[in-house]
Amino acid sequence: MIATIKAEWRKNRFRPAFLVSSGIIAAITALIYGVNWYLALHPTAGDRQAVSLLTLYPDQVVNNVMGAGFPLGAAMAIVLGALIAGSEYSWGTMKTTLTQGPGRLTTWFGRVVVFAARMGILTGILFIVGAASSVVVASFEGHAIAWPAVIDIAKGIGAIWLVLAVNGAIGLALGTLIRHSAAALGVGLIYVLAVEIIAVRFIDSINSGAYKWIGNLFVGQNATALLQSFTSPAFGRSLAPSIGAEQAVLVLAAYFVGLVIVAAALIRQRDVT
Amino acid sequence: MTVVETSGLTKRYGNGVLAVDSVEMSVRRGEVYGFLGPNGAGKTTTLRMLVGLIRPTSGTATVAGHTPGDPAGLAKIGSLVEAPGFYPYLSGRENLKVVADFASINHRRVDEVLDIVELTSRAGRKFGTYSTGMKQRLGVAAALLKDPELLILDEPTSGLDPQGMAEMRKLIKDIGQGNRTVLLSSHLLPEVEQICDRVGVIRGGKLVTQSTVQELLGKEGVLVTAQPVDRAFELLTTMFGVAAVSRQNGSIRLQTDPAGSLEINSRLMAAGIGVSELRPIERSLEEAFFQLTGEKQGS
Repeated sequence: MIATIKAEWRKNRFRPAFLVSSGIIAAITALIYGVNWYLALHPTAGDRQAVSLLTLYPDQVVNNVMGAGFPLGAAMAIVLGALIAGSEYSWGTMKTTLTQGPGRLTTWFGRVVVFAARMGILTGILFIVGAASSVVVASFEGHAIAWPAVIDIAKGIGAIWLVLAVNGAIGLALGTLIRHSAAALGVGLIYVLAVEIIAVRFIDSINSGAYKWIGNLFVGQNATALLQSFTSPAFGRSLAPSIGAEQAVLVLAAYFVGLVIVAAALIRQRDVT
Repeated sequence: MTVVETSGLTKRYGNGVLAVDSVEMSVRRGEVYGFLGPNGAGKTTTLRMLVGLIRPTSGTATVAGHTPGDPAGLAKIGSLVEAPGFYPYLSGRENLKVVADFASINHRRVDEVLDIVELTSRAGRKFGTYSTGMKQRLGVAAALLKDPELLILDEPTSGLDPQGMAEMRKLIKDIGQGNRTVLLSSHLLPEVEQICDRVGVIRGGKLVTQSTVQELLGKEGVLVTAQPVDRAFELLTTMFGVAAVSRQNGSIRLQTDPAGSLEINSRLMAAGIGVSELRPIERSLEEAFFQLTGEKQGS
């Protein structure tokens, strides 16, 4: 397993897809801070959605970076997962790997471990850029720099990592199922950005919301609820999410484990042609 | 001692296509074994089963003392099945290091195999920029990383120019020296004739013959040039039967064991027939192949 993780890390450490997505997530986080800073300083008269400068200071960094986690971060994670799993088939590297010695499941779980680590790095970039941006805003505005409690930072990092990992697992599973990266990422993005949203709205509308609990089992609903649970009075009043943070964590973790196991079963059983 | 042994090895795909049908194959230690067959005959499917990429529908195989796909067996096998598969954004050397990591091999071996395939000077370039010949060489280098007992190469000269093919043939010949066993699949007959000790011919998923190259070439017969040719033809027909005797460009072609040439010469001379030429017919592997596979030459 160690050898497989080492090999997976070596092949992915400078992978263009990871480097580009790291750059995008850093740029988007900085952009969110920049735009919100501008909006906070130039509120339109009567704008009820005006951004409070208080949300951009370091003590609110955990709550603020959640906006980059979903759906943008999730969509990026799906793309990465689909590319990582699907390209193994289109490049013929799956057969090269499987004929080297480690078993199929060892190879798969090594890949998942490295992918999860890369999602951790993306999460770290998100937080570092968010923290740096908040320090810039606070410095310019002459506001004291104070950070959230370590436990809150840890919870925030864990929440974003989980959202990225679950959506990445969707991409990995689709890439493994379809054995083609472009098709897999297309299907994944359409599902997360369209199909799931439509399905949840439809389910919620049936019989005055009698089946809302089914809609609450979807990945997007739980990811949104988990990230929305990170808020503070500085962000103004917000509706309480219909799914609790603990339940969201459990559902997302179950999705992650389930998707990894389903993909493992596919890899174990299917011929590599 | 056999390194590869199959028994009733069969693969039927989900769409009902019978790709490999009860193949009984035996590859001995230290030999270069040519696995011949036309395109679509079942060569690659058989090789994929031997390295564990495809599971047989029925039958068994033992490869390097283990069942196909067993990590202990794979540790003794180097393979290049179909096109070499590497990461296009990594250099040749980095790709080999990835393969070495998967196989738990020290990276020192990477430079050794790059040297063997004469790719050291280009090892720093990205795989995506490699020519077909360089890709094939890198594939062979990856197969050699483990210093394997058994090397399985599927159409290694595929896509190469004549110069590249000649170099690859030389490389395979060198690799096949000593105790290493090489199982080489190809549909290029001169290549197999030059490199291999034994061959197996597959057609429509069935192994139609398995023998040494010499046995395969030597089964044809004897060519007799004699005067008067009509009398010689009559006598030889009496001796061997109508089916075994035919005319060929003023000579007579006999389907018989060349070991009986002395007897044939004596009988012709005794009958007062002058024999100017009597020699075994060395059919090419190409001719043998087309006879065995039922393919038409030049088609």
